[in-house]
Amino acid sequence: MNQLRLGILARNTIVIVLALLWAVPTYLVVVNAMTPVASYTGSPVWWPSGFALFDNLAVGWEAGSFTAPFLNSLLYATLGAGIAVVLASLAAFGLVIMPTKHKRLWFWLIYAGTLLPLQVFALPLYQAGVATELYDTKMILIIVYVALCIPFGFFVTRNFMVTLPPEISQAAKIDGAGWWQMFVSIYLPLIRPAMVAAFVFQFIFIWNELFFGISLTISVENQPVMAAVATMQTQGSALSQPAILATALVVSLPAVLVFLFFQRFFVAGLTTKI
Amino acid sequence: MKVSEIERLTTERPTTANRRSGLRSGTPVGHEKRARRAAIPFVGAALAVVGIVLLAPFVYTIYRSALGNGGSGFVGLDNYVTMFRDPALQRSMINTLMWAVGSLILPVGFGLTIAVMTSAMKLGAAARALVVLPYALAGTVVAIVGNVLLSTAGSLNQALAFLGLTDPESPIQWLLQWPMNVVSVIVFAAWQTTGVNVVLYMVGLQTIPRETVEAAALDGADGWRRFRFVTFPQLKATTAVVIGLTITNALRAFDMIWVLTSGGPNRGSETLALSMYRQSFLMLDPAVGSAIAVVLTIIVVACSWLYLRRQIGQES
Repeated sequence: MNQLRLGILARNTIVIVLALLWAVPTYLVVVNAMTPVASYTGSPVWWPSGFALFDNLAVGWEAGSFTAPFLNSLLYATLGAGIAVVLASLAAFGLVIMPTKHKRLWFWLIYAGTLLPLQVFALPLYQAGVATELYDTKMILIIVYVALCIPFGFFVTRNFMVTLPPEISQAAKIDGAGWWQMFVSIYLPLIRPAMVAAFVFQFIFIWNELFFGISLTISVENQPVMAAVATMQTQGSALSQPAILATALVVSLPAVLVFLFFQRFFVAGLTTKI
Repeated sequence: MKVSEIERLTTERPTTANRRSGLRSGTPVGHEKRARRAAIPFVGAALAVVGIVLLAPFVYTIYRSALGNGGSGFVGLDNYVTMFRDPALQRSMINTLMWAVGSLILPVGFGLTIAVMTSAMKLGAAARALVVLPYALAGTVVAIVGNVLLSTAGSLNQALAFLGLTDPESPIQWLLQWPMNVVSVIVFAAWQTTGVNVVLYMVGLQTIPRETVEAAALDGADGWRRFRFVTFPQLKATTAVVIGLTITNALRAFDMIWVLTSGGPNRGSETLALSMYRQSFLMLDPAVGSAIAVVLTIIVVACSWLYLRRQIGQES
């Protein structure tokens, strides 16, 4: 019994130490983000010395012209994830419910995109963007994000649809419903949890994406928000650390809030990977 | 394209419905054929977007890697030879390997430890929330956090000096020397990537039948032995998925390294994902850049095999 208590004590100690270790970076970011520039000496502080979060944010936001990139990313994340999830569910419906040939081939063609590193798409997309004058437009990022989000959205909705009893589509057929009608009025409401899971997952992915943001756009009017953050960090040496941190903290909020609010769905989307 | 797709879909409905009346007289084969044709717009839209934006560029990159720069035509494997002879890219390949091994040890190990230890613990959910939260942060933001901690005048050196572990006059240069800079970034990346593994292992733990664990407890197996002989063997499938996902994500990591070190100093902390970007977009060498992308793809797909095997099994 004593040994068991010792074991539990050891376990609790390890968990507490790990939890504190994980909390330290977040704590340091928050404390330094609200430190007034006047009392910031050039290296990070460990204790709060005033509250200037909003002043710091205003400085960083202004210097990096964050309004356009922030709104761009809202557009990219909402449209990109939204369109992708709709197209993905249509494809899942077509392959799971409708009678189709070569189901495995179509599955792998759509799904394969999620296995490849982004770098393997980048150069042709850049060249095609330049050739079609889509380089450095909002359109090219929306198209690319939709394409990047389809494979996983397809995977999630498809796996969900496979679990639905086949009697549903048989009953709908007897009622004389067409395929489109069957999809909209019967399957769409049923697979909504899977669609929300896929949407949440992809919204966060697009919001946090940097690589295509800096490969396919260059102007502030079209760049996503993380490209602006990266520019601020790598080139904005004139900015003080508190201003950079306050801005980074605030631009992280949309993804973090979506994550916290829809955590249940997010976890559901994640675990379909198993 | 989207509008026309939707139009096609909406016009599809009356035609199928009209045909339905004649269905009964039609042969089953004719019915099948019509249904198959009806599926084309459903599957076709997603397939077209993925095909044009992802698969075609993928194929083109493979083809491009066999061409020289500036229209110099087919060069066979020359770009790959150049790549493997370039000292900076050799270093990049070593770093990529370090990332793969490092992510195997840290995020997977921490993920398993935290999930197993907190699963039966009061307030375990609170501890897990702290670990999972950084997962929602962008790699770019994680890099900024890393800069606060790891720069030479950063918080980590302050803490070490305060505890008397290092001499304040000669702080450790976490990000400036190879291989220390690669190791530092790998270790700090675990702060972000462990969360997802905790979630995956929690799901895996829930699938273990309660009876087996209770039986082991009745047999007097203590915490460690219960984990070693009862819990862990049943997490084998989960572990395969976690390892596969973590390694492939580590190999693809770009944002965090790019913003934290830009792959420097002197390209010393580059991985293949960064090398491809630098070679193609900054050094304007698409020939070798494409070769790097292909090598990276081969490595990622080979590592994906760890968890793909299961999915392929399910598909067939």
